[in-house]
Amino acid sequence: MRHVEQVMGTAVSIELADDRPDPELRALIDDVCGWLHEVDARFSTYKDDSEVSRMRRGELTAASCSDDLRQVLAACADLWRDTDGYFDAYAAGPLDPSGYVKGWSVEVASDRLLAAGSANHYINAGGDIRMRGLHPEGGPWRVGIRHPWEADKLSWVLALTDGAVATSGTYERGNHVLNPRTGTPARGLRSVTVVGPSLALADAYATAALAMGEPGLTWLAKLATDGYDSAVVTDDGRAFSSANLPAAV
Amino acid sequence: MRRSTAAAVGTLTGAALIVGVRLSVQPPAPPAAASSSVDLVGDTPTDSSSKAAGSSSKKPAASSSSKAAASEEKAKNGLKDGVFKGKGSTNPYGTIQVSIKIADGKITAADATYPTTGNSATINPGAVAKLKQETLQKQSADVAAVSGATYTSQSYQESLQAALDSAKA
Repeated sequence: MRHVEQVMGTAVSIELADDRPDPELRALIDDVCGWLHEVDARFSTYKDDSEVSRMRRGELTAASCSDDLRQVLAACADLWRDTDGYFDAYAAGPLDPSGYVKGWSVEVASDRLLAAGSANHYINAGGDIRMRGLHPEGGPWRVGIRHPWEADKLSWVLALTDGAVATSGTYERGNHVLNPRTGTPARGLRSVTVVGPSLALADAYATAALAMGEPGLTWLAKLATDGYDSAVVTDDGRAFSSANLPAAV
Repeated sequence: MRRSTAAAVGTLTGAALIVGVRLSVQPPAPPAAASSSVDLVGDTPTDSSSKAAGSSSKKPAASSSSKAAASEEKAKNGLKDGVFKGKGSTNPYGTIQVSIKIADGKITAADATYPTTGNSATINPGAVAKLKQETLQKQSADVAAVSGATYTSQSYQESLQAALDSAKA
């Protein structure tokens, strides 16, 4: 069963491939959508009454906020350190954990699906995908990575049964990724895809590498030992991939 | 004269070996080290002497000059002034040649040349070593989902994912 939900400022595509009665699949999808809307209400920087907005105004502190927000803030701090400051929830000034929240919320949604008995599914939130199990027709999920210049073409095709694929690029909304060290738009890399066990981390790593520019190639190479592979296209059209990228044959 | 020449050759060989080893051995990347000081240019970040010298990724030989200077002391010989080139050290990406400049019997500069063929000239060797360069593909294959840079609700309409979703709806 397929479903597309407009939430968190983007379109979220959900496909459940489990062999179960439609009403059960429908209930599972409803639960995922409910969770994603809850995350939007609680963590959006565009909503004045969200927990993030209240923390920005000083009405909430790390001690008084929810466990979820505390966990998000801790993860952002870890990522800031692990990316040498290139993933920065304070890059634009006030707290903005959006770069982590989307991937994290989809990761949680997939966990909830698994706990509810759906072992075969994918959730694609604006191009960042978490998948589990098998495709409806059997075999692994085949995931295309968008060609960075031609929207209807692919530059790689991956095959995964359990994992996450996140892509950051400068082609979609122009130079919207800032290098937090210089405050200027990131240059050098046009598209960065990171594949690994957690969508929350893969998404943040892809964003950080894009902000780094070409030195991000070296930094991404080091992630391979942690199980995060990558595929990169530079501004001048060179393509790179790590040795264990799960490319479909 | 002969002894000083031998000392210079020895120093050069040592410097070339040090640089060769530094470039051929993949830098260790334990998570703890990466978290404190991430190596973004392919140079060794934990080497404080190379940081102090402001060495760029193109000049890892700068930090080895101190070791070369140490062996110079051991030899207790004045070095012949001039610029000396070491024997090229070959790694999978080409040949690296180290050169040193000696003035007043002391090493005053050390440098290394890198392969300049193809695209490797613009990428530091560490990146080439681990992320394999390939040809950018243009394919339209049968896929279940498409990963791409974050699209807005509006641009989703024009995405390949949207086409897939409507095809299966």
